[in-house]
Amino acid sequence: MASLSIDALNKSYGETKVLIDIDLAIDQGEFVVLVGPSGCGKSTLLRMIAGLDAPTSGDIVIAGRKVNALAPAERRIAMVFQSYALYPHMDVRKNMTFGLKFTGVPAAERDKRVAEAARMLRLEPLLARYPRDLSGGQRQRVAIGRAIVREPDVFLFDEPLSNLDAALRVSTRVEIARLHRLLKATIVYVTHDQIEAMTLADRIVVMNQGRIEQIGKPLDLYYEPANLFVAGFIGSPAMNFFDVKVSRIEGGSALVDGPCVAPLTVPAGSLAQGDSATIGVRPEHLTIGGAGSLATTGQVELVERLGEASFAHVRRADDKLIVAEVRGRDTPAAGDVISLAAPAQDVHVFDAAGRRLVTAESQ
Amino acid sequence: MAEPVSQVVASMPRAKFAALMALFLGPSVAIYTLFSIYPLIATMGLSTYTTDATGAYRFAGLANFVILLTDAVWSKPFWNAAWNNLIFFAVHMAVQNPIGIALAGLLSLPQLRFRGFYRTVIFLPTMLSVVIVGFSWSLILSPLWGVAEGALKAVGLGSWFAPWLGLPSTALATLALISVWQFVGIPMMLIYAALLNIPDELVDAARVDGLGQFRIFWHIKLPLVLPTIGLVSILTFVGNFNAFDLIYSVKGALAGPNFASDILGTFFYRTFFGNQLQLGNPTMGAAVATVMFFIILVGVCFYLFVIQRRLRRYAF
Amino acid sequence: MLKQRAETLGVHVILIAYSLLAIGPILLVVMNSFKARNAIFGAPLAPPDATTFSLVGYTKVFHASHIVTYFTNSLIITLVSMGLVLLFGAMAAWALTEYRFRGSTALAIFLSIGIMVPIRLGSVAIVKMMRTAGLNDTLTALILIYVAQGLPMSIFILSEFVQQIPKDLRDAARCDGVPETRIFFEVIAPLLRPAIATVAVFTIVPIWNDLWFPLILTSSDSTHTITLGVQQFLGQYITDWNSVLAALSMAILPVVAIYVIFSRQLIGGLTAGAVK
Repeated sequence: MASLSIDALNKSYGETKVLIDIDLAIDQGEFVVLVGPSGCGKSTLLRMIAGLDAPTSGDIVIAGRKVNALAPAERRIAMVFQSYALYPHMDVRKNMTFGLKFTGVPAAERDKRVAEAARMLRLEPLLARYPRDLSGGQRQRVAIGRAIVREPDVFLFDEPLSNLDAALRVSTRVEIARLHRLLKATIVYVTHDQIEAMTLADRIVVMNQGRIEQIGKPLDLYYEPANLFVAGFIGSPAMNFFDVKVSRIEGGSALVDGPCVAPLTVPAGSLAQGDSATIGVRPEHLTIGGAGSLATTGQVELVERLGEASFAHVRRADDKLIVAEVRGRDTPAAGDVISLAAPAQDVHVFDAAGRRLVTAESQ
Repeated sequence: MAEPVSQVVASMPRAKFAALMALFLGPSVAIYTLFSIYPLIATMGLSTYTTDATGAYRFAGLANFVILLTDAVWSKPFWNAAWNNLIFFAVHMAVQNPIGIALAGLLSLPQLRFRGFYRTVIFLPTMLSVVIVGFSWSLILSPLWGVAEGALKAVGLGSWFAPWLGLPSTALATLALISVWQFVGIPMMLIYAALLNIPDELVDAARVDGLGQFRIFWHIKLPLVLPTIGLVSILTFVGNFNAFDLIYSVKGALAGPNFASDILGTFFYRTFFGNQLQLGNPTMGAAVATVMFFIILVGVCFYLFVIQRRLRRYAF
Repeated sequence: MLKQRAETLGVHVILIAYSLLAIGPILLVVMNSFKARNAIFGAPLAPPDATTFSLVGYTKVFHASHIVTYFTNSLIITLVSMGLVLLFGAMAAWALTEYRFRGSTALAIFLSIGIMVPIRLGSVAIVKMMRTAGLNDTLTALILIYVAQGLPMSIFILSEFVQQIPKDLRDAARCDGVPETRIFFEVIAPLLRPAIATVAVFTIVPIWNDLWFPLILTSSDSTHTITLGVQQFLGQYITDWNSVLAALSMAILPVVAIYVIFSRQLIGGLTAGAVK
């Protein structure tokens, strides 16, 4: 049984539609990450699950109960806010127990839960301190502790790491993954950071302009993006795209070509002769001077060196930039004219509407 | 309104939400309506009545206002008080606000030492009661004590001294200056706060462009705090056309000498409560209060619809 | 460099001169209140010394007036008014900022009328009303008027402070299951403490200093406030300089003492950006 399900949910403010026909089912114990660019509606969706905002239409069901009309506290959820939202005038222990008082948890039980959460999050030495005396990472742990003591059916995280510096973000990420294993909890987690999404999620929900673009396991999204948006959003640096036209259909294959790519044969799928299409290839699948079904050339404009790999930004003849990953010490220099190629199985084909064609290789 | 309707509020039963609002807003609305708005309206209502010899109220339309503005017995002191009030306000605008701006400008200079001390000391008179301030100054300016005269003599200006508060020609201006002395802290602090809100980068940019402190103040800071100066002006206007305490405590209800320092507040008090010269007249008092209300209303509307719209607020 | 030094010096000279002008008169009154009569007139600018020191004015004020009663009355009126203005004002500010309902904007405008229109102009009806209600010459009447007078400004100031409290806090409290009334009293209200200083400057100080309403609403010594009491005492003993100076000092000193103790908070409150 799904721990949380959302059916045909819509939200609009006047004429502006913020969420459109959202359907989502989340299993018990699953870690689901909502990811998307800012303004895509992911935080609004989370706030509606929490019961902080009301949907315009549609249902939210938590643990088998329809919760549309319930207040947040009655939904058996707990939320961790981006700003942590710790009560500044209460110490850590009070912050954690404050809400429990109102939900009828007896004092002895409250103490037990706080002790348990404090142990889990290594908060014991901080229990008597006030939020202003805590570091960002400590505040974050208190906010998580406050959620844990509620023993909710679903944990909701709203961009919990975005106020932390880079190093802390990595360690807290690991911490959250550990807690998820430990608590076996159902978690809905909102972020705009695709690395957080990839590393934490059992399943990722990619959202854009109020719609769900794709739901899937992290590597499935990476290797089999449903459409151009997901292909471009997941992966860094982003996938390279080439505009092409279908010049011929032959049996199950289509011959496509366009500016700056050698004509290549791709599985035809639903393509017809004369259609526009887009082909995409990730930077790490391009090799310099190699052979492959996709081939292009250009002049190196800039090389970003990261250490284990470098990214060559290559200006094509049609003035578009593509990025290729180069591993090791031997990188091209700016100004070099190079040829790049990728094998057929790493080339994605999208139709004119941006949908990825399901090809023989990838199936 | 982009503010989302909270689910908590949206799903609350109507009666429960109404009870919640009644709890939060009820006390304020009740006390404010009963003891502020109702008396204002009731006073305006009373201004359309007169009392006869038996003390009974009788509706009289606008008769009180006609008498007040045309009958020489009433109109002469009324116009005298209104004119004096205008002078009282003009002195504040001409002296209090420029001094307040100048002090705020000095206090906001970068790296000024003892800033907190100056601020505290200059603001101190504002905290005191007008009665105390008025009385203290009347002692100091009194020829009996001779402190002011002595001070002037010490700088060779002894011949300038006169019993300013006692002379018809100078009493009003002197009282206005005492009030300026007391309340200069308010424009100073409000403008000082506005000056602090100007980002340092802006001032640094002007310095890099080669402007000196005075020019920075005149060309950069002052235009940016104009909205605050507008606010200070309307606060001064409302305060001045509603003033009473200072004149009453220094010169009494008769606002002497020979009504030279009479303003609308003291005129209203005499009309309402009476004094050695006349009996109190509540309905006429209500009429005076109504006229004062409309004067203040015109000033506030002028501020809201003319001044405030022209003064652009800059977002930093 | 030299020019800059000269400028800095000039600024300090101006500020010191103005500071002297601001506190000189106050110092003069307080200083002379501790002197014997002939020293007040003989050498007004000299501080009291062993030969001129005298408390005769103060003893007279204590004997000839009900200064302790006046002071107590002022204290009661100001503290009770302050408590109610803060409590009711904060509740209304929270409700108007947090909840939207039909007429809420109109209500906010209605409540803001009193910021600009002085309640004093309703005096004729207030006197009539208080007589009818039997509240004439009571401290209750003054408190009710002062609360009505202080509320609009305090709602305005407190609304600005409420808006600065992060929205996530109330959301967190709602997720925690805290009832709406408790959210205000246990989460929001404690965070409004910094606003007290600003509200005090704009609404509490005027209450302590007010002459008008005590003058028109109280008639007996037992209900006079310090401001009215001192004003009447001064009128009565105008020729007795020792008493006059002592009475003035007794009205000045407590205010100055409190002001100096809290000046940091008060001035901070004034410049907190509540009024921009």
